[in-house]
Amino acid sequence: MDLISILATVILVTTIGTMIVGVGAYIAFKVRDKRKPSKKRNDDTLDATDQSEPIFLKRYIPVSAVGPSTYEQ
Amino acid sequence: MEIKKYSRYVWAAVIVVTLTTILAFSYQSVREQQGSFSLLLENYVLMAITVYLLIFLILLVFRYALLILYSFMDHLESLSSKHDRPENLYREDSSLPMVSLVVPAYNEGLVIQAAVRSLLKLDYPNYEIIVIDDGSTDDTYEKALGVAREQQEITVRVITKRNGGKAQALNTGMTAARGEFVLNMDGDSKLSSNTLRACIRHFENPKIGAVAGNVKVINRENIWTKIQALEYVEGLAMARKAQSFIRAVNIIPGPLGMFRKSVLQQVGGYDDDTFAEDCDLTLKLLMRGWHIAYEPTAIAWVETPSGLLDLLKQRYRWTRGILQATTKHSHALWQPRKAGINCFILWYMLFEGIMWPFSTLLGNVFFAYVGLQYGLATLLFYWWLQLTVLDVVAASYCVVIEEEEPSLIFYAIMFRLFYINIIDVSKVFATIEEWRGHAMTWGKLEREGKL
Repeated sequence: MDLISILATVILVTTIGTMIVGVGAYIAFKVRDKRKPSKKRNDDTLDATDQSEPIFLKRYIPVSAVGPSTYEQ
Repeated sequence: MEIKKYSRYVWAAVIVVTLTTILAFSYQSVREQQGSFSLLLENYVLMAITVYLLIFLILLVFRYALLILYSFMDHLESLSSKHDRPENLYREDSSLPMVSLVVPAYNEGLVIQAAVRSLLKLDYPNYEIIVIDDGSTDDTYEKALGVAREQQEITVRVITKRNGGKAQALNTGMTAARGEFVLNMDGDSKLSSNTLRACIRHFENPKIGAVAGNVKVINRENIWTKIQALEYVEGLAMARKAQSFIRAVNIIPGPLGMFRKSVLQQVGGYDDDTFAEDCDLTLKLLMRGWHIAYEPTAIAWVETPSGLLDLLKQRYRWTRGILQATTKHSHALWQPRKAGINCFILWYMLFEGIMWPFSTLLGNVFFAYVGLQYGLATLLFYWWLQLTVLDVVAASYCVVIEEEEPSLIFYAIMFRLFYINIIDVSKVFATIEEWRGHAMTWGKLEREGKL
């Protein structure tokens, strides 16, 4: 086997290999991109116009801990 | 509207029907000669691909020769202009116009302080820095404010806004700019200290609307980033310099571009309907008849993706963005008399963006098939060798012109051996997805803070 044939075989194997790697890497990149959580979709504070509304949480106070008159007010 | 939407499919159907008709007529002649239809089909396809690849190679050699020639002419021109007009006699410091540096930043908390501090050391007497925080979810705004508060001599303004993309951020910066000239850059890039002086001298020519700067890779840490360093050197020292010779640079790079503010306002700033807003804006300037120069000594150091998947993500976005920008200005493709040089620029972009990756991939598949089927692997070797020789010649020229590390020439072989095969696959898929109208998002590259 002469030098050109050896080099040709190396290039043939490398070319086929890198094309397969290229397709694999592209699929991996697309899969990785899809798996990243989308902030907008998961953000429950967004309304129909994509505006985020502040959420004010009220402190939970058990009824038993509050006097009846205060609770009624 | 509906017809326009489906016109691409109609064209594809017409091509398929035409090819089928030609084959059907050929079938008759094969029957008469009692030959094999599959053999005829194979011969036809192989012959067509061979002719196509030959045309492609001729175009490629012509492209390299023209770019190197024009690039060298530009180099000679800049050397002679330096010789004729020494820089220190160019202008008095007091007469230099004000320049506004606009730094858009989205989640650049890791690098924003280093980036702004490096801007404070620029060698120019009259400039301001405007950081546009594009609704970052990290501490970009606070960190930028920190640098702004500790600064007395040079005005640093930090503006925060709702996240709206880079184009909107740059437009906000343009509106807020007080300078006659605006320098747009990326939040993660670092400028060489002579940048403003080097760029501003081009504006003595009233036809020049913008100046594109040089971009170099700072994180040359592994084989991916080193090959990208070579790619940047080749892309700028050869392609951009050649385009500068005809004053028609087709992409003002995002990391460094200086504009007349009035010109930016005239064209309406950046549009956010493409993923390559810098390319789109450049084409808008060219279509309006403005000349664009390239300044090789004004350097922006940038961090490039060091991993394969991030690199593919970047190239995917670039490919689709450039195709979107080209489509947007496609009217100039068919009006060579009216559009002039812009028509040539658009065809050149289509050659680089579509024909080149498709052709190299097609050549690889074709020669690999011939090698496996007929035992002619040497053909693939010669195909690879001629492309590699072109790459090495171009790399050697660019390394000499840019006074870069000679070791980069070695990476021209690596570039052709595996790198570009992998990148071309992504470019081809990106082109197909753009053609089919797939939705895409901007994406954000993760920074490592190497600046």
